[in-house]
Amino acid sequence: MKKTIPVLLLTAGGFIWLWQYEPTPHTETAVVAQAEAPAPAAGSATRTLTGTEVAAGRHGIVQVQVVLTDGSITEVQVLRAPATKPTEEALPTLREEALSAQSADIDTVSGATMTSEAYAESLQAALDAKGA
Amino acid sequence: MLGNPRRVEHIMGFPISVDIRATTSPLGSAVDHAFDWLREVDARFSPFRADSEVSRLNRAELTPAELSDDFIEVLAVCRRYEERSGGAFSVRLPGRGLDPCAVVKGWAVQRAAEALMDAGARRFCVNAGGDVVAAGGPWRVGIRHPDRIDQLCAVLAVEDAAVATSGRYERGDHILDGRTGEPATGLKSITVVADTLTIADTTATAAFALGADGPEWAAAQPGCEVFAVTENDRVFRSAGLPTG
Repeated sequence: MKKTIPVLLLTAGGFIWLWQYEPTPHTETAVVAQAEAPAPAAGSATRTLTGTEVAAGRHGIVQVQVVLTDGSITEVQVLRAPATKPTEEALPTLREEALSAQSADIDTVSGATMTSEAYAESLQAALDAKGA
Repeated sequence: MLGNPRRVEHIMGFPISVDIRATTSPLGSAVDHAFDWLREVDARFSPFRADSEVSRLNRAELTPAELSDDFIEVLAVCRRYEERSGGAFSVRLPGRGLDPCAVVKGWAVQRAAEALMDAGARRFCVNAGGDVVAAGGPWRVGIRHPDRIDQLCAVLAVEDAAVATSGRYERGDHILDGRTGEPATGLKSITVVADTLTIADTTATAAFALGADGPEWAAAQPGCEVFAVTENDRVFRSAGLPTG
């Protein structure tokens, strides 16, 4: 058991680093390996160890599972991964959004603070006049 | 039933519309009182009025012990958002003294809306220069296109919630990044939906000051949903945004 703990720490740490949007320092909780199954019978040497959840900075939680065969890691599974920050390029463009909003029947308009001077030509003025 | 369900007055330099659709009792002078309150807030909190509490504090004519409870409440909100935004949101900028305007507007309009509720108004909407308190509903709230005054870029359906938008298009670079003292960059506009306009308005302003990281930060604030347009015309929507 003891020997597996540093391995798990390194594994989780490696994954966390991959998910960091920017490499900022982060605190990690200790990973404690827990045997999922009862101790294997003599002759069988495969064990599955699940690490505890580790906080990956401000990006979420990482949890990994490691399968050991004869003391060596044969499989690593990511059970929980943090949601990655969407890159700006992956977001829809304003043109697509605007087209769908133009025909909307609306009650009021939210926008950056509008001065009284700008009000006259605004959509809100038209709505206020319609309902007065 | 209501006499005059919709009214617009210009206070603090922006238009304030009240649109009442349903009430449990005659509102009488409740709408007058709401507008009176907003005029009182302007007189007490405007840094452009020499006799306001803010101006007198900045001239050291008032000691902290002499501040009104309202003023202390506003300052507490200012401090909370300065801390939460890591200093990006700031009401104390070099050369300007204390300017709590970024908090006062949402706070004052929220209180006006609560007074209308107390008077019996149930389904109504207050729009203060683009910041909205919607009671009852659902209300269809359009979000102004950041580049076009007469167009929308999204529509929300909100019920018993507030919607505030911060952007550069209306008054130029008026939001500064408190960490640098420079105008905030990265976003064209950001809209926040929250339970109260105090929260929505302050969160939107702080997020705009944070720039590119603002949308993620605002979406992580409790009870806040976000719609933002980046400087590169990309659109960010939080998962729970109430779309119309």
